Amino acid sequence: MPNAILDPTGTVTTSAAKPATTRAPRRASLNGARVGLLINTKTNARPFLDEVGRLLTERFGVTVTKRTKTNFAVPEPDDIIKEMARESDVVVTGVGDCGSCSAAAAADGVVLEAAGVPVAVIVTDSFRATTDAMAALRGAPGYQYAVTAHPVAVLEEDQVKARAAQILDDVVALLTQQGNAGE
Amino acid sequence: MTASPAPAPAPDPDEAQRAIEYCYEQGWSDGLPLVPASKPLVDQFLATTDKDPDEIIGSLEQVGRDCTVYLAAVNAAMAGCRPEYFPVVLAAFEALMRERAARGGGFQSTSGPAPLIVVNGPIRQQLGFNTAGGAFGPGFRPNMTIPRAIGLMVRNAFGIHPHVFEQATQGVPGRWSICVAENEEESPWQPLAADGGAGGGVSAVSATLTRTMEFVDNRHAPNPEDVLRDFQDTISRIGSQIFPKSAVALVLCPEHAQMFASAGLSKADVQNWLLERAGRTVGEFRRAGKAEVTSRRFGPPGAAGAGHDDGPPRPDEEFHPILSGPQSIPIIVAGAKNAAISMVVRIFGEWSGTSVPVGEKK
Repeated sequence: MPNAILDPTGTVTTSAAKPATTRAPRRASLNGARVGLLINTKTNARPFLDEVGRLLTERFGVTVTKRTKTNFAVPEPDDIIKEMARESDVVVTGVGDCGSCSAAAAADGVVLEAAGVPVAVIVTDSFRATTDAMAALRGAPGYQYAVTAHPVAVLEEDQVKARAAQILDDVVALLTQQGNAGE
Repeated sequence: MTASPAPAPAPDPDEAQRAIEYCYEQGWSDGLPLVPASKPLVDQFLATTDKDPDEIIGSLEQVGRDCTVYLAAVNAAMAGCRPEYFPVVLAAFEALMRERAARGGGFQSTSGPAPLIVVNGPIRQQLGFNTAGGAFGPGFRPNMTIPRAIGLMVRNAFGIHPHVFEQATQGVPGRWSICVAENEEESPWQPLAADGGAGGGVSAVSATLTRTMEFVDNRHAPNPEDVLRDFQDTISRIGSQIFPKSAVALVLCPEHAQMFASAGLSKADVQNWLLERAGRTVGEFRRAGKAEVTSRRFGPPGAAGAGHDDGPPRPDEEFHPILSGPQSIPIIVAGAKNAAISMVVRIFGEWSGTSVPVGEKK
C-alpha cells in the first residue's frame, strides 16, 4: 500500500462553528421600533448610518440607539451582542467596505439574528463574496443583506445621504419581511 | 553485512507529477507545486519538537479555525521545508500570531500584507539560511520555504482563500516569501531578537505584517546626517499612510548600519532621530487628499479615539509626526556589504516588540 497524501486543511473547530442558525422573526412594520445602529468606524459609515436612522425616524417614528464597533475587523464580543439584543428591536450595521469588516458585519448580523433581532447588514458590492462566505461559515448560507455600490469612503456628505436614501427600502424590507434564508 | 548496497532506484517522475496534480486538484496550493506530504515525512517534522501534534498554536476566531502543530507540520512539508526547519516554522508562526493585526483581520485585508520574518542566532548557519547578499531572496531553501509554510497554514489551516476571505486589492509583492536572516556578523549592534527580549546569541524569530517597502539607495553621502535625512524623506511619504500613526522597520544594509555606528549612533539614536522628524505638515497631508490621517476620525481598530473627530481642525503648518515610539521603528541589519542600499518596510499595525526563541527538542 502506498502512503496516503495528507490533507493540510483544518476543520472549523472553535465556537464560531455553529449549526445552521435561525433568522429572527420579522416585524410586521417598523412603526415605533427601537433601532440599533452598529457603526463600524469605516470612513463615511457614521454619516451613512446616521442618515438611515434619521430617515427611519422620519418615516416610522423609530427611536435610534447608536453604538460604535470596538474593532471593525472582527465580530463584536458576546456581551455587546447581548446588550444590543436587549436594547433593540432591529439592528442596522455597516458599512462593510473592506475584507475583514464586511465579513465581520455578516458575522454580527448572523449572531444577532440568532439572538432574535432582525438585522440589515450593509456592505459594498465589492465584498459580496466574503460576506456570503462568512454568513455560510456562521451557519446562515444565503443570508440576505443590503448592498450599495463601492466605494463609499470617497463620497461627499450629500452623496452619502443620497446613498442612504437609496438603500432605505432594502433595509426596511430586510427588517420586516421573511426572506429566503431558512425556508 | 551486505556488500555495498544497490543504488536506490530513481524516483518515478510520472508518479510524482500525479501526486503534485492531486494536491492542486484539492485546492491546497498557493499556485506553485506542493511537495505531497506523507505520514513518514510529517512524522519527521513532528519529531523535531516536544509539542503535542494536537496542540493549538494559533486561532482565527472570526472564521472559527485553529492551526495545530500537526497541521503546521503537514503544510511545512508541503511548502518544501526540510524537517529540521520545523522549529523555526513554529517560532515564526508564534511570533506572527502575537501581532494584533494578524489575529484580527490582517490576513483578510485589502492591503494583502506580507509577513516579514526575521531569524537570529546560530540556527541561521545550522540550517543554511542566507545571511548575506540578496537578503529578500530568492535562492535559499530555508528563506523561501519557511514563509511559504506560513502562507499555506493561513490558506489551509485557517481557510483564508483569495477572493473569498482573502480580499487583497493588489497585495504586497513577495507575500509569503520574505524571511530575512539578520547579518549579525556585519552588524555593529545587537540582533533584533535581543531587542525583542530573546537574549543575545539565541536562535529566535521575530515577525510582523508589512504593507509595502521601498529602497533608500544612498551610497555616496559621507555624512550620516544626510543619510538619515534620506531615510526620513522615504519614511515620511504620504502614499501608504491611512492612520494617524504608523510604523516602519528599517532593514539596513551593513554599510549604512556601520556608518551610523562609526558616528557613535546606537540603534536608539537612529530611532529617536527619525521619531522626531518623520512626518509631514497637516497642510501637506491635506493637499494630498489625506487630511483624514491627521484627524482622529479614522484610527486603527481599537485605537483610542478611533471613529471620533473631536477637537478643532489643526493648522496647516502644524507638523504631524507619523511614528509613535522607538518600538514602531525596529532595525534589522541584512544584506551584503557591497552597496549602501537599505529598505524601508512599512509595518501593518505595529510590531509586537517580542521575539520567539526557536524551541529545542529536549
